[in-house]
Amino acid sequence: MEEILKVDGLTKSFKQPKKLFKKAEGPHNVTAVDNLSFIAFKGEIFGLLGPNGAGKTTTLRMLATLIKPDSGNAFVDGKSIVSDEDAVRRKIGFLTSELKLEDAFTPDYLFDFFSGLYGIEKSVVQSRKFSLFQKFGIDAFKYQKYGNLSTGMKQKVALVVSIAHDPDFIIFDEPTNGLDVLTARVVTDFLQELRADGKTIILSTHIFSLVEKLCDRVGIIIGGKLAAIDTLANLTKDKSLEDTFFDLYEGVTGEKI
Amino acid sequence: MKNVLLIIKKEFNRFFKDKRMVLMIFLPGVLIFCLYTLIGTVMENVSPTIPDDYMPSAYFYRLPDDFNDMSDLFKPQEYDSLEDAKSAVTSGDLDIVVEFPADFMDKYGSITPPDVKIYYNSSNETSFAGYSLATAVLSYLNAFTINSSADTFDLVDADEQATSILAMLIPMLMFSLLASSCISVAPEAIAGEKERGTMATMLITPVKRIEIVLGKIISLSCYAILSGLVSFLGVILALPKLSGGLVNLGAFSYGAGTYFMLFGLIISIVLLMISAFSVLSTLAKSVKEASAYIGPLMLVIILLGMASMFFTNPSVGLYAIPFIGSGIAMSAVLSMTASVVGVLLAILANLVLAALMVVLMGFMFKKENIMLKK
Repeated sequence: MEEILKVDGLTKSFKQPKKLFKKAEGPHNVTAVDNLSFIAFKGEIFGLLGPNGAGKTTTLRMLATLIKPDSGNAFVDGKSIVSDEDAVRRKIGFLTSELKLEDAFTPDYLFDFFSGLYGIEKSVVQSRKFSLFQKFGIDAFKYQKYGNLSTGMKQKVALVVSIAHDPDFIIFDEPTNGLDVLTARVVTDFLQELRADGKTIILSTHIFSLVEKLCDRVGIIIGGKLAAIDTLANLTKDKSLEDTFFDLYEGVTGEKI
Repeated sequence: MKNVLLIIKKEFNRFFKDKRMVLMIFLPGVLIFCLYTLIGTVMENVSPTIPDDYMPSAYFYRLPDDFNDMSDLFKPQEYDSLEDAKSAVTSGDLDIVVEFPADFMDKYGSITPPDVKIYYNSSNETSFAGYSLATAVLSYLNAFTINSSADTFDLVDADEQATSILAMLIPMLMFSLLASSCISVAPEAIAGEKERGTMATMLITPVKRIEIVLGKIISLSCYAILSGLVSFLGVILALPKLSGGLVNLGAFSYGAGTYFMLFGLIISIVLLMISAFSVLSTLAKSVKEASAYIGPLMLVIILLGMASMFFTNPSVGLYAIPFIGSGIAMSAVLSMTASVVGVLLAILANLVLAALMVVLMGFMFKKENIMLKK
């Protein structure tokens, strides 16, 4: 299998807000991601599973070059996220609730604008827009202002815009959060289609069923560290993914849930 | 460069498809036009133009018999006392009071000549005309002094005098108009995008940070310049009315060079303002915070523009001081006393400082703790 992502000892810590450490209790820095290493292969859906605050989003933000690691590195198709950010940005698509689109614009304009920033030829943009808008039913509201759309419509537009440049490597952070069952289904079906097209997907979630449905391999993150990494089949050989996760959680934190 | 254009286009789309933003371009200009026209109309009524055959009214106090002919040039008026006559000058009922000293005839032609006092009201055109006429007639005799003591002879009311300062306020007014155009867009365009999370969406694309900065600065400046020019147009269009009343700037005798220098100054001032405001907007987490940072800076800028009024004979070096230099240059251009070197220096200083701010913003856009802080 061809290796497309190599994460090598990624570490990231954040300063606590001043008011929190005024009383001199606890550390001034909180380590969100602690020496994280893993590999993802071309054409697979790799799931990052973990509770809130485990460091999933921070890891993805580093991979998307939005923030820099304190130490360690990661290579997307051989390009470093630290020293070759522009090349990495060209190769990836990133969908997260943190990234928003401007309310004043229409889906049609937003697609054209972001495609333009990636330097994609106009004819390619038009044909790609046509097929993606049709697939997601965006045609019906493509000239309405983004701000006037429903949550489901917005998520569809955000998804389509994030892959406007047809990236081979796509990062989805909680892609079905806040969606109704119908839209969630459209999204999960699309992720499978992307995999069938040979794209690599990194999927961060805390929903077990989503991991079980979609992922080929899974990395479980607890407290910023990788607690386990294996194929879904191996992780669920003896017990359900949920039980495996809670056993690991208890082992790492010592907390019985 | 292609990305810069794309971002400029996007910003223009945001500005010009929003009715409120379009209204904000024209509103200050229309308001200033209405305000100036109103001031002009009021001033016109206060001080009508003097007809050619107008004879100023005068009260002569202790008029020597030998000077009786002088009263033929005026409409002599009678008052109970000198003080009553002076009050009439202030109120506009009487044009001038001419007071001869008691010992006028004794001193007349001596080594210590007598001093004649002429009281007038500078806010009243006919009074001023009377004062000029009386001075001219009495000076002809050349055997005594006029108004040489330390008394106050201009009996103008303080409020009326204040309006004549208006002419000096044009640069400060332009500064305020341009600054308010800039402040209406700068906080929203960067801090607003950060706050809404749309900036981060742009930051994960391969577009260079400096391209985003340039796209923002250029588009914001275009908007502010457009708004500033509409305001300026409001001032220019209202000038004939205004000058008919009190202030005569001779606006329509300005040549193309003057307008060219003014335009250059306006563009460079806007670029500097937008860059300075954008740096603060980049530092802020929200539009509210950005407005809080920019507000005091805007006041400082307007005060600096005002400070330029106090340099009556500025050295060339002063032109290179941001905002003060631009204010001095603008005053000089408007009063047609500007040196091209000085104006160019002011423009260059603004552009260099604006460029430095753009570079600074390029660095700031690469800092995650600035761009992504919550």
